[in-house]
Amino acid sequence: MTIRTINFFVGLLVPFFLIVLLGYASALSAAPTQRQLTLLANNCLQCHANHETGAPQLGNPDDWRKIKAQGEEVILTNIVHGIGGMPPLGYCSACTEEDFRQLLRMMTGLPDTDNHEAGEQK
Amino acid sequence: MKRRNFLQGSLALGASASVMGVSGCVNKGLSPQTPVTFKPGEPMPWINWAGNESCTPKWRHNPSTEDELVAALKTASGKVRAVGSGHSFSAVVPTDDTLISTDLLSGLVNHNPDTLEATLLSGTRLHQCGPILDSIGQAMPNIPDMDYPSLGGALATSVHGTGNEFPSMSAYITGLKLATVTGDIIECSAQKNPDIFKAAQAHVGSLGVVSEFTLQNQAPFQLTEVNKVEPLEDMLDDIENRCKQHRHFELYAIPHFDMGFSVATDIAKPEDKNVGEEDPQAVNTLRTVFDSLTMVPFIGTDLYNKALQTVLGGQVEQVRTGRSYQVLPHVRIVRFREMEYTVPAEMGPTCLREIMQHIKDKKLPYSFPLEYRYVKGDDVWLSMFEGQDGCSISVHQYGDIDYRPIFSEIEPIFWKYQGRPHWGKIHTLDAKRLAQVYPRHWQDFQEVRKSLDPNGKFMNAHLKTIFGA
Repeated sequence: MTIRTINFFVGLLVPFFLIVLLGYASALSAAPTQRQLTLLANNCLQCHANHETGAPQLGNPDDWRKIKAQGEEVILTNIVHGIGGMPPLGYCSACTEEDFRQLLRMMTGLPDTDNHEAGEQK
Repeated sequence: MKRRNFLQGSLALGASASVMGVSGCVNKGLSPQTPVTFKPGEPMPWINWAGNESCTPKWRHNPSTEDELVAALKTASGKVRAVGSGHSFSAVVPTDDTLISTDLLSGLVNHNPDTLEATLLSGTRLHQCGPILDSIGQAMPNIPDMDYPSLGGALATSVHGTGNEFPSMSAYITGLKLATVTGDIIECSAQKNPDIFKAAQAHVGSLGVVSEFTLQNQAPFQLTEVNKVEPLEDMLDDIENRCKQHRHFELYAIPHFDMGFSVATDIAKPEDKNVGEEDPQAVNTLRTVFDSLTMVPFIGTDLYNKALQTVLGGQVEQVRTGRSYQVLPHVRIVRFREMEYTVPAEMGPTCLREIMQHIKDKKLPYSFPLEYRYVKGDDVWLSMFEGQDGCSISVHQYGDIDYRPIFSEIEPIFWKYQGRPHWGKIHTLDAKRLAQVYPRHWQDFQEVRKSLDPNGKFMNAHLKTIFGA
């Protein structure tokens, strides 16, 4: 197995597989960038794909129903401040507002109703 | 009695106390978890895991390659700091100028199956290292009890696990590439730029930004961890044997309670099976019981001690078995702030006993368990374990309670035992005091630091304090 393959599997394919398998999120949102998938794998999935944490799990709509009802602006603010067991920024120091919006849509299944043009920060 | 039974019992205690009209003061003296208020559309703040440190940098860089890291450093303005997962409790990260996040600088660079060394980018999270290394037939010999930090952050602060035979993670570095403030890349190892190497193995982000580390690993292995409730004094009396008997041993001392938790971890046997379930909210349950029962006038802490003995009198045993990188770390979802000092190993039991007695004698309103671990000595200049085996004692406070009162009660006790503070955790020592506990290499480190960053570009307010820059 090449190093590129290992990194690909660990960093990208796992979350991609989950998203494709569980489909509903990507069906409702614009496709995430590769950068956002890396941020997802490095940060979000350590809790949101780990039942032991008690965090709402990616791909389980029941876990997200009440959160989704709060709306995107509230969820975004909660991510930045941290809420419950989730730390401020969800561990993601590189995430921009646009990254957080994209990632929360993937998690919750919220549609992209607004055209946020914050752009990708490097 | 299984952990779940313990929790049910504890909750029942808390409920009973409430019914008795002695419900606790859980909201007294509380402060917000995060002082930062963010509104969508505003500049994104940076906030650490514990919520006690924050900043709003003017410029942010998120390099995904070494070239991008170098370019970021060459163009960086003002004070420059790097951040991984933001798990440090001390103010090592905040800058209002340039913040470089290593989130995207992650993954495996290469590996050597003969020497069992692997090179990983510095932003790789510890929780990713296990599966990555496993896929190439390697494993880290030891890791901390949680795996949220990035390699860069963990190694810059000499993060450690527990075990008589295992030094801090920084001691497993066999090579690294350091990007300096001028954008130069310096390759370091014991043979190449050895002084910079010894300084950079634990440098608190003061020398530059490490782009990649080469680590000495071993073949993958399986572990079994056994947790028990035992009398604290029995554990301390037998501590040398325990540490010799087990690959890893640590204990948790519970304030105002005569017993504690032991955590013994060894190479797994084929017949080992998981028993019970880990509950990451257990410390919150303990808090509820404490807050409820200690409100009873005069006898509150005694009542708490007796009540816990009743519930935990039988052995609570929990067993976790599996791959090393799955067993060593634990879920941490209860927000807290932490201070940790490492004292010479032989002073550990005396130091812990003094802390526990101080808490008891002064009836301090404090219930968070203290963590007690052993780490092998190493030769990393600013490692807390440099030149001596160490005993690390961690003091935590819940994230919504001001940590300063309890930390200020306990910190002076550590000073009596020549304690060295963890670089990533809260302490009040400045450069003058720190130089006294690092007599061998403090000046060596300072010379390397000044040669690499003569204008103090990496010196934020906290680093100025601890390095005297």
